[in-house]
Amino acid sequence: MFNVKISLFSHTKELEQKIDMLHDKIIEAAMVFKKAVDVYLKEKRSQDYRKLSKEIKTIEHDADVLRRDIENRLYSQNLIPDFRGNILELVENLDKVINEFDEVAHKFYIEQPAIPEKYHERFKELVGQVCECAENLAMASRTFFYDLSAVRDYSKKVYWLEHESDKTTASLKEGVFDSDMELAQKLQLNSFLTEVADIADLAENCIDQLLIYVIKRDI
Amino acid sequence: MDFSYLFFLSSGLFLGWSLGANDAANIFGTAVGTKMVRFNTAAVIASIFIILGAVFGGAGTTETLDTLGSVNTLPGAFMVALAAAVTIYWMSRTGVSVSTSQAIVGSIIGWNCYCGESTNFSVFGKIFATWVFCPLLAAGTAVLLYFLLHMLIRRTRMHLLRQDSYVRAGLIVMGALCAYALGANNIANIMGVFVESAPFHDFSFNDTVYLTRIQILFLLGGMAVAVGIVTYSHKVVSTVGNSLLKMTPLAALTVVMAQAVVLFLFSSQGLQNFLHSHSLPAFPLVPVSSTQAVIGAILGIGLLKGGRGLNWGITGRIVVGWVVTPLIALVVCFVSLFFLENVFNQVVYRPELMDL
Repeated sequence: MFNVKISLFSHTKELEQKIDMLHDKIIEAAMVFKKAVDVYLKEKRSQDYRKLSKEIKTIEHDADVLRRDIENRLYSQNLIPDFRGNILELVENLDKVINEFDEVAHKFYIEQPAIPEKYHERFKELVGQVCECAENLAMASRTFFYDLSAVRDYSKKVYWLEHESDKTTASLKEGVFDSDMELAQKLQLNSFLTEVADIADLAENCIDQLLIYVIKRDI
Repeated sequence: MDFSYLFFLSSGLFLGWSLGANDAANIFGTAVGTKMVRFNTAAVIASIFIILGAVFGGAGTTETLDTLGSVNTLPGAFMVALAAAVTIYWMSRTGVSVSTSQAIVGSIIGWNCYCGESTNFSVFGKIFATWVFCPLLAAGTAVLLYFLLHMLIRRTRMHLLRQDSYVRAGLIVMGALCAYALGANNIANIMGVFVESAPFHDFSFNDTVYLTRIQILFLLGGMAVAVGIVTYSHKVVSTVGNSLLKMTPLAALTVVMAQAVVLFLFSSQGLQNFLHSHSLPAFPLVPVSSTQAVIGAILGIGLLKGGRGLNWGITGRIVVGWVVTPLIALVVCFVSLFFLENVFNQVVYRPELMDL
């Protein structure tokens, strides 16, 4: 009747490393994406861009493997039982941010949108804001596992950057639709701008959740 | 062996069973409620350590109950225990978390009243003071421990997963210590009234195991508590952790630690001797309620967090329960003794001859 099972100190170190690695993957994805967009704006679908796009795909794949492994271990080793669902949700949302980087990079590769040079600087600015937003999300999430009180500092940055990216996107869209471009090109650029901005939105949603977890964990 | 003794003892065992069913929740309720420890694990650990505590550490507080009222016949002891057990059972059915100590003290005073024995009010005062002091002390201890643990975690910047492992280990270790303290402290509530009339003999096995007649009695009581834990505490254990305040595992650990500290302070003869030997004020060795300690500790944590998450309705009912439990036990015992003596012709009181 009594199956006494005490699983103490069970290989948590390995799982800690895997969660850390998932955060690393977000930062990696953001950095490579930024570089890839720079290359695209200069060279369009060049060999270099192809390499960078592949690199993002590999990062995305590694992140998926890590996510599955983390989820499995959390359940099989019965870790943080009261909070497991929330950690799972967090890990999945972090993975979605990486997926979005991959999707947008791939979309550039497939659709090869023609972005007029006059928008390049603003576009780079937008990508920079979005990538910084994702990096801060990774730092906030990593901090969540070590020091709850410091999560707030990074979350403020994420909110601010997301807001800035919204403003940049709006002004870019306005510029695009006020221009003499073909409607098809306008719509294509609009779709790209929306997808890039979505990365910051995903990061913001993730931070919203994270702050709720901080409150839950603090009681 | 006098079998009538075993019959009368059955009410004590019933009381032990109800203590196991109710008070086990105080030891592992928060751990099971936060899903940190499985119920089966909790039940086995609690059972083993309660028995050990009862047999090897249970002498200290019995003397206090003995001085409150010396129930000196078996039928009297039977009714005192039964009245307490019935009170606990009845109060539990109404959903109020009760204190076994209060029920038994109320019952003994009921016996005193019925037999015309004077209650030792200085002892009663001491016990009554702990009913007020124990939850307050537990609340204060919990707040202090909570701050200390939080500081430790912030300083060490421990990973959430590692923190989780340590908290789980802490819950199990502290739960075991609490179970030991509960056995040591509360066995007097269950078996204290049977000590005087216990027909057992001292027992030794190969000169390695030696049990006094009182330890044998306490072993029986401890086993009854263990049966209560295994058979009936599951629901209570599962709900106690979350009914009053939704807690994190760290808060759950704090509550259990605060409870262990308070039960230790009121049950350790060693600590009392140490404090006395250094001319310091000592804690009285009285059976304090683990329910009061755990509720006090939870309230302490809840108030520390601004009182937002506390269920004040349940808190109010618990406090009312603490007031009425001894009164109900007193009345039930008094009325039952009347029937036992006049309807069943049992001797519930033996006047003691004074040596002149």
